[in-house]
Amino acid sequence: MKEVSYFAPTEVGEAAKLLAEYGDKAAILAGGTDLVAQLNYYEVKPAALLYIGGLGLDYVREKGGKLVIGAGTTTAHLLASDLVAQKFPVLAAAAATHGSPAVRTVATIGGNLGTASPAGDLIPPLMVMDADVILASVRGERAVPVKDFFTGPGETVRAADELIVEIQVPLLPGKAVFEKVGRRKAQVCSIVSAAVRLEMDGGVCKDARIVLGSMAPTPLRCPKAEGMLKGKAVDAALIAKCAAQAVAESDPIDDQRATAWYRQKAGTALVGRALTKAAGV
Amino acid sequence: MTEYVGMAMPRYDGIGQVKGQTKFVDDFVLPGMLYAKALRSPVHKGLIRSVDFSAAKKVPGVVGFVTADDIPGNRLFGACGDQQVLAESYTAYKGEDIALVVAVDEDTCMEALEKVKLDIEEQEPVFDMFEAAKPGAPLVRPDLKSNMWEFMPGVTTRVIYLGDVDKGLAEADYIVEGRYTTGEQDHAAMEPMVSVAYFDDAERLVIHTHSQCLQFQLGSLASIFDLPLSRIRYIGGVVGGGFGGKNHIHADHFAGLAALKFRRPVKYRLSRREDLLYSTKRGVFILEYKTGVKKDGRLTANYIKLWHDAGAYGGFSPYGVEKCSMFASGPYHIPNMRVEGQCVFTNKAGSSSMRGFTIMNGQFPMEMQMTKVAEAVGIDQWELRFINAWRDGDMGVSRYVVRGAGALEAMTGAAKLAGIELPDHLLAMSSRGR
Amino acid sequence: MKQILSFTLNGAPVDVIVTATETLLDVLREKLGVTGPKRGCDNGDCGTCTVLLDGEPVRSCLTIALTVAGRQVLTVEGLSPDGDLHPLQKAFHEHGAFQCGFCTPGMLMSAKALLDTNPNPSRVEIREYMSGNLCRCGSYEEVVEAIQAVAAGEYKE
Repeated sequence: MKEVSYFAPTEVGEAAKLLAEYGDKAAILAGGTDLVAQLNYYEVKPAALLYIGGLGLDYVREKGGKLVIGAGTTTAHLLASDLVAQKFPVLAAAAATHGSPAVRTVATIGGNLGTASPAGDLIPPLMVMDADVILASVRGERAVPVKDFFTGPGETVRAADELIVEIQVPLLPGKAVFEKVGRRKAQVCSIVSAAVRLEMDGGVCKDARIVLGSMAPTPLRCPKAEGMLKGKAVDAALIAKCAAQAVAESDPIDDQRATAWYRQKAGTALVGRALTKAAGV
Repeated sequence: MTEYVGMAMPRYDGIGQVKGQTKFVDDFVLPGMLYAKALRSPVHKGLIRSVDFSAAKKVPGVVGFVTADDIPGNRLFGACGDQQVLAESYTAYKGEDIALVVAVDEDTCMEALEKVKLDIEEQEPVFDMFEAAKPGAPLVRPDLKSNMWEFMPGVTTRVIYLGDVDKGLAEADYIVEGRYTTGEQDHAAMEPMVSVAYFDDAERLVIHTHSQCLQFQLGSLASIFDLPLSRIRYIGGVVGGGFGGKNHIHADHFAGLAALKFRRPVKYRLSRREDLLYSTKRGVFILEYKTGVKKDGRLTANYIKLWHDAGAYGGFSPYGVEKCSMFASGPYHIPNMRVEGQCVFTNKAGSSSMRGFTIMNGQFPMEMQMTKVAEAVGIDQWELRFINAWRDGDMGVSRYVVRGAGALEAMTGAAKLAGIELPDHLLAMSSRGR
Repeated sequence: MKQILSFTLNGAPVDVIVTATETLLDVLREKLGVTGPKRGCDNGDCGTCTVLLDGEPVRSCLTIALTVAGRQVLTVEGLSPDGDLHPLQKAFHEHGAFQCGFCTPGMLMSAKALLDTNPNPSRVEIREYMSGNLCRCGSYEEVVEAIQAVAAGEYKE
């Protein structure tokens, strides 16, 4: 443990070079709220810590019809941002449930993506807005839709030499809602979470996104459930069917937080609640 | 003098707490202090073939190791005197302590532990009490005759009784049965287990402890270290939450043994994860009831069988069975009672005391029984309890005579606070007599 | 790889040699003799390690020490620099807002951060802001009352 190197680059290019050199032997340190717990319990043994706090990645801007969020933006800053409050309130709703106040001070949106837990709170809101993750390396930059970013619990398509630098969120129309249930009302890893976005025209749904968290190896889009809503008049009966369909597309497990049985019940309730709020019925 | 009664007095030791100056055990950081961590059994039950420290010894910063052979005195401890301080030839629960590594810091300890070569033969464990109780079940530990605790030689069921429960059941108009389980819980005190030990300038072994009961533990420690009490200074009283979890020795013996061997200050502590996984817990109780009642609501009999899962070692569990037996009929007058309690070993970390140890484990099932009894008889829930609540002079199952009974007055007060109007004939009842 | 870490601790400059993986909690407790922040879980969940970093609450057990270079760290020891108790400390003491006291340093730091950003919090706001500080002894109600009392101006500096 004593031989671990520490780097605090001030430019993304510097960070990219270090990652090219160390690959997965470097651990990327942002807020550290996942990584340092793993270090404390000897679960990871990196050769180097690459601190990204000095790269200037903590920003929220509007650019070309999108909200662009630096990967190093802390949850606290997301909550304090007027832009997020006005243009992307569902992210603020999720951010308010993320960890605890002291964790929110330092935890970053890039870290939530990089940790890639199926329970990641900030992820479902990004997915209902069809957001993209921007990855940077010495080979250049690429964009990956958030819905395609995760390959399994804790696993992403990020190559060992890539750094998450930005998230780009198209400001898609409609109302988005986030719901979460855990074993407590605060500082809790979700048992189930759900985010939906409905674009409504009168009482008819023009477009829908439904995302479940903690219900599959990755945060999960529910395309069949989404398809049930498109072009239809949304009422309580359709919402109920749609919520059941969303859960049917998931694959929850028993773990120390809850059973699959409970997750299915809670998931149906959360999706139903979120759709009801989003549809304004 | 009496003007202080009823006053809220700030604690005299409270200033230290709010200033962060109060010294909890982990706050002791001494010059040259070493750290110890435990080599733990990776299997639920096993036979230790060999432990090879040679590669671990080479890790820079490692000072040495402590095994059972380093124990100067008694190699067994615990309230029943049956628990291995450090496992020698067998392990009986996953995580059981086999040896200590002592080094300049915990990172070095953990690095060294990875290099220890432990050859342990995994055996078939038993986790369920009733499986463990079956004749011919694999023994939880090789030193046991059976997986049942013997309260006296050859006696594996602790019986307490009052009157004649068969007669009482025969007299009953209704017999209500029930089976209840109370589960495991961890105390999760904010302060994890930690001890610091060193020799003072008079060559006495000083141990700073998180213990909530120094008197329970000092004798056991003296016998492990083979030191007279005059050579031990056992210092405690600042406890970051105990709740019963710090009645069992978790760290004092290890810090002391390491200090004895290496003659340097040593800190031994459990991480939060170790504390959650391996420290003593509230253990499972299962109670089966047959409660007899007359149609006028008077209880005539209570026949209870209870089982308590002790984990791999006795600890306070046999005492727990006896204590639960006394409370499992609640504060009710029942002239015929019989409680048969068994304490069963399983291959799990030991059960021990926690908050109202065994009392709630008995009273909760009895209250559930009372609810069922009231439904069976068709009598109001309050009425059933008012009729049967102890009065002064009634006798509990362990033959103590009740004095200062207060259940009726408590229930009356609770009903009033809840806005429930009780009928006059109940309000007229008194704990002073029937 | 050892480096010199320089930062400001409770208003005074400090230099200490640290390794890359040492946390701020490790450094405070084991190198600088500052044992107010406690080690309750090393996982960021219990809150006993909470300190203020540039005025904001953080988990010192999850803070890599080198990342606080050049910054301001405030611990419970810094609440009473001249020996006089901070209003929150007085309020906690008089309201009995602790039993074993292990959670208290963390509670006080979160409470200070709360009142610094929201001097007149509602009861709900207090409970939400303090939700990351656990207490197994069950002193939550007294903690809320103590904070309310300070917010109401019952304890002057």
